[in-house]
Amino acid sequence: MSNILEATFAVLIFPGGAFALALGLFLKGVDRKVLARLQRRVGPTLIQPLLDILKLSIKETLIPKTANELAFRMAPVLGLAGVLVTAAIMPVGGVWSGVTGLGDILVLLYLLPIPAMALMLAGCSSSSPYGALGFSREMALMFAYEMPLIATFLAVAVRVGGAGGSLFSLDAIMAYQFLHGPMLLDPVMIPAALALIIFIPGTMGSGLFDIPEAEPEVIEGPLLEYSGPLLATFHLMSAVKLVVVLELAVALLWPNPLGGSVLVNLAWHVFKCLVLLLVSVTCFRAATGRLRLDQGFAFFFKYTTPMALVSLGLATILR
Amino acid sequence: MLKLIQKLVPRSPWIYRLNAGSCNGCDVEMATTALIPRYDVERIGCKYCGSPRHADLVLISGPLNLRVREKVLRVFNEIPHPKVTIGVGACPASGGCFREGYSLEEPVDQYIPLDVIVPGCPPRPQAIIEGVVKALDVWRKRLEEDTCCRF
Repeated sequence: MSNILEATFAVLIFPGGAFALALGLFLKGVDRKVLARLQRRVGPTLIQPLLDILKLSIKETLIPKTANELAFRMAPVLGLAGVLVTAAIMPVGGVWSGVTGLGDILVLLYLLPIPAMALMLAGCSSSSPYGALGFSREMALMFAYEMPLIATFLAVAVRVGGAGGSLFSLDAIMAYQFLHGPMLLDPVMIPAALALIIFIPGTMGSGLFDIPEAEPEVIEGPLLEYSGPLLATFHLMSAVKLVVVLELAVALLWPNPLGGSVLVNLAWHVFKCLVLLLVSVTCFRAATGRLRLDQGFAFFFKYTTPMALVSLGLATILR
Repeated sequence: MLKLIQKLVPRSPWIYRLNAGSCNGCDVEMATTALIPRYDVERIGCKYCGSPRHADLVLISGPLNLRVREKVLRVFNEIPHPKVTIGVGACPASGGCFREGYSLEEPVDQYIPLDVIVPGCPPRPQAIIEGVVKALDVWRKRLEEDTCCRF
């Protein structure tokens, strides 16, 4: 019974739900503002993503006649629900160690592609050729960026397993880093850390990897036919997804708390997410254009995956 | 709560460009307004969107000639309520230099109600931005009067 209560709390309020939504919208606002400042503009206000969502929530919903209405309506809801559950099992160093019994990186591997799946469902149910193009691009890119993620997961797990911890548990990974120092400072894990940092813009579709939702070519691809509250749900999903991938990187690389009270640790966690956002999303987006689909695919297979595999090999040899 | 939302909503206008047979002069000026950092429209919350379904403010350029009329009206109907229209340049208001030409019958506002008109041939980027800001007032009034909204 208490397990169910704890899980509900985790999904609806603390690491997922209200907290993740607020943090995600805040991070999106910071992203837009800092990007504007990098381009020497004034930029929107910090609460602009929230204003966008409020605006979308009172707009009319239009559904194409030829669309599959059930799938069209369900896709954003499924995506948001999926990322909220994912956020619930994300540990926050020194504050929260995830829902017990679910804190496993194999579960994460199944939960992380859900937002991409929702986008694909949206694209192919909308009966629009641009939506279908966005669907195929999203799918191809997903095959590319899942590989370095899996290799990084394995590298971290083998490193922890080598020290006598249980392999795939997030709790064990956190405990290992509390004892032995963060993975980021471990020389064996540096290539995997870089691969994970490149994975973040890949999965968020920013910078070089803005391929599925490329505005000039496929007009936002899967989101093309969406309007009103459904589009707002997709924006919320993207905000929570940003929080999830940043928290994932923090949990795998540097979950160490600052010590002291819970609030200090929480602020430290948010600070780490913010720094990671600025490095991997904002500056990356400001500095790069966009790749073609085949180039993006090759980028992940030529550079990012081998980097993570190097770490995996080293961790296996040195265990 | 609803009042608060109605107050906040006009701070997030998403813009869509609708070319109704224009000579491309106004479109260049609109692209300049949006796409270069110098006239930063994002500071009032604007975002250019490619899909009409995401749009709130519609910037219409051109005199709506016979060839594109049906298509333009079809795209216009795909923009969800509440929407505000801005005619950019002389053409939407009067036909401009295409007036009384063989390819058009009337200017745009015979078919699409124009809320704000930005004169000029082509108008300066500053004028277009001022038109967008004026359109926000129209939008705010419309939300308060409930004439265009779902509730």
